[in-house]
Amino acid sequence: MLFSSITFLYYFFPIVLVLYFIVPKMFRNAILLLTSLVFYAWGEPRYVFLMVISIICGYICGLLIEKYKDKLPSKLALLASCIISLGMLGYFKYADFFITNFNTVTGLSVPLLKLALPIGISFYTFQILSYTIDVYRGTVPAQRNPIDLAAYVTMFPQLIAGPIVRYSDVAKQLAERTHSVDKTSYGVRRFIYGLSKKIFIANILGEFAGTFIDSKQQSVLFCWMYAAAYSLQIYFDFSGYSDMAVGLGKILGFDFMENFNYPYISSSITEFWRRWHISLGSWFRDYVYIPLGGNRVSKLKWLRNIFVVWMLTGFWHGAAWNFIVWGLYFAFFLIIEKLYLKNFLSEHKTAGHCYVLITVIISFVIFGAPNFKMAFDYIKGMFGMADLPLVTAETLYYLRSYAVIIAIAVIGATPLPKKLYSMAEKKFGTAAAIAEPCAILILLFTATAYLVDGSFNPFLYFRF
Amino acid sequence: MKCSLKNLITIIVIGIAVFGFSLWGIIGKKSDFSESERRVLAKFPELNAETVLSGSFMSDFENYALDQFPMRDVFRGIKSASVLGIFRQLETNELYIQNGYITKSEKEISDKMLIHAADRFQYIYDNFLEDTNVNIYFSIVPDKHYFLSKENNRLAPDYDSLVSEMRNKTEYMKYIDIFPLLSIEDYYRTDTHWKQESITDVAAAIASEMGITLDAEYETLAVEQPFYGVYYGQLALPVKPDTLYYLNNPLFDECTVTSYNTGLPEKKNVYDMEKAQGRDPYEMFLCGSDALLTIENPNAETDKELVVFRDSFGSSLVPLFIEEYSKITLVDIRYMQSGAIGSFVEFSNQDVLFLYSTLILNNSLALK
Repeated sequence: MLFSSITFLYYFFPIVLVLYFIVPKMFRNAILLLTSLVFYAWGEPRYVFLMVISIICGYICGLLIEKYKDKLPSKLALLASCIISLGMLGYFKYADFFITNFNTVTGLSVPLLKLALPIGISFYTFQILSYTIDVYRGTVPAQRNPIDLAAYVTMFPQLIAGPIVRYSDVAKQLAERTHSVDKTSYGVRRFIYGLSKKIFIANILGEFAGTFIDSKQQSVLFCWMYAAAYSLQIYFDFSGYSDMAVGLGKILGFDFMENFNYPYISSSITEFWRRWHISLGSWFRDYVYIPLGGNRVSKLKWLRNIFVVWMLTGFWHGAAWNFIVWGLYFAFFLIIEKLYLKNFLSEHKTAGHCYVLITVIISFVIFGAPNFKMAFDYIKGMFGMADLPLVTAETLYYLRSYAVIIAIAVIGATPLPKKLYSMAEKKFGTAAAIAEPCAILILLFTATAYLVDGSFNPFLYFRF
Repeated sequence: MKCSLKNLITIIVIGIAVFGFSLWGIIGKKSDFSESERRVLAKFPELNAETVLSGSFMSDFENYALDQFPMRDVFRGIKSASVLGIFRQLETNELYIQNGYITKSEKEISDKMLIHAADRFQYIYDNFLEDTNVNIYFSIVPDKHYFLSKENNRLAPDYDSLVSEMRNKTEYMKYIDIFPLLSIEDYYRTDTHWKQESITDVAAAIASEMGITLDAEYETLAVEQPFYGVYYGQLALPVKPDTLYYLNNPLFDECTVTSYNTGLPEKKNVYDMEKAQGRDPYEMFLCGSDALLTIENPNAETDKELVVFRDSFGSSLVPLFIEEYSKITLVDIRYMQSGAIGSFVEFSNQDVLFLYSTLILNNSLALK
């Protein structure tokens, strides 16, 4: 089920809220679990069982790891958890990728499995792994209540597109969480801002990107507009989803970690990745990079660690070579920055911003293309190497049609709106107290209007 | 304190909105048909293990929730206003409004569609017309976008190329160019079609090419009910409705109009005044979208016959030819197979007119 759907907004969530708040506190996790399973089953009725099996394995492994702490069975239980979780992920997400490449290399024709990718498997697999690894490390005690653990993994606000909430971050909240008017109100506002980012910006830029792909009159300018629009779309799509997840979490009493912090204002790629998909970056840092030795090893091993982490980051996003290349592309720039550009970028912020924007925009062309060849074609088009005219009538038409949205998206990707809002709040005081709820209501109704009209509405990160 | 007040107001306002619409959606009265969109609305889907496991219940419920959402048309209007007014996009759902005219924005010619249309015409020619002594004519009706796209540099198909392509593919017909006779004022503001009272010159020009002269006098009558055309409902914005006028002549009362829509002959009128008060008032012209219809004129001075292969633009034009023909047959191959024509129409010494709009030619898959 999509957050940005009439079914979620006006049927599912109101029912969840009523059930959640009328039952005694001790049953709230059970309600959360049940409703989350319905939420997941709405889009993937058959794969609910796969998720339940993953949770049961994680639960049993967690108990065994704790019971046999510092003994061999504990290690074996952790190993089993990793093998089962990553095995399922590998089988459902990566099997056909490996078979295709195996066939290419050997010339054999091993048939493809052609399995549908279970929604959110990359996210909940990483959450279960973070739980068993943290129990093994002794960071958190094993969860004895299977309903609480299952509620954590399946929690619908973050189930299918993150942020990757770690068990250690919400363990206490699973047992006891607070609700207040301020927290709920913040959650409501955050959800509606996220919904607006998704519907008014990401979806419309998605239509624009689709128009470019279908166009028979591409031009150099059109290629750049597509690349910029897609980069903005993916940001507003994913950060909008994260805003909605954080907001829903607040309404239900949880505090999820922030997943984005204005990544496009970064002046280095290092900074960009501290601001983009923070929960994934920190997961790889804590569960892969640091266990490999991080930067406290020889230079060669350090470079290896960076390449491994970024290759895995790319591969996590999808079972295709363009995702691996996308990850390694960032590894390359991160290493260059760490070795040569660190001082230059800290002294030349404007150059740094331009460098980041161009690097990231090109990266998302690689990321968003259906295959590596098309990514290469688009990039050639951007740099005038594809025999395209500089501009066409069609390009100018779409530029006119999407100029306001692109301008809003560009400004919205910076902290400027938030700063202006804070200034207005200070200046207008009580009036702002009335104006903001009205503005939120208008956003909700307008978003509803877009949904009722059945507009373009896919979430990009659902495929990961 | 101020912050708490704001937060309290936020929760109350949004809570009322969400729970209010939720309850309204659940217990409110459901509609079977959308008058504005002219389509059947989704009903609550069947709930059983099979539909749930297959996922069809969920997808059908999503459609139901969208279709039965309270104040659906108001929300659709808010969306259009927001897209065109706030975000300043040039179109919404491929529609735009310019100079008060709601118009569909087509952007390019589909060669595939033109080939399909030409193939259908060729099939009719090869199977029914080739070895007969009929006179074959072809005319293309420009869409409103043809006129409006020029004014604001909108993307538009190359209409000259469309006409030229169709002419090249239909050299067995004599082409009658009516583009210069039309302007945007000849069309309804809220509908796709042209206005009957504005196309007497078009009728005269076509008639002249077919070797006849039209000289009947008509009384211009108005349908009392305001005319909200098909684009009005699709755009969902508060645009002033049109007035539907029709040209009447006592001759029409003596004509016999027969529809073969159901296979059996059914008597009808040149103007269906019941339909003029219905969901799509434009259907008052020759009963709307009938697959096969004949008009017999006992007062015709000659025994000439006309066969018109047409889309809905023909419905309002053809009555203006009645005075000169003893029998007119209208065939709409969107609603009947071309291969079946021979069972109903015998081609011999008739005028045959193919009259199609650019909209249909460029989206011709409906032609069977």
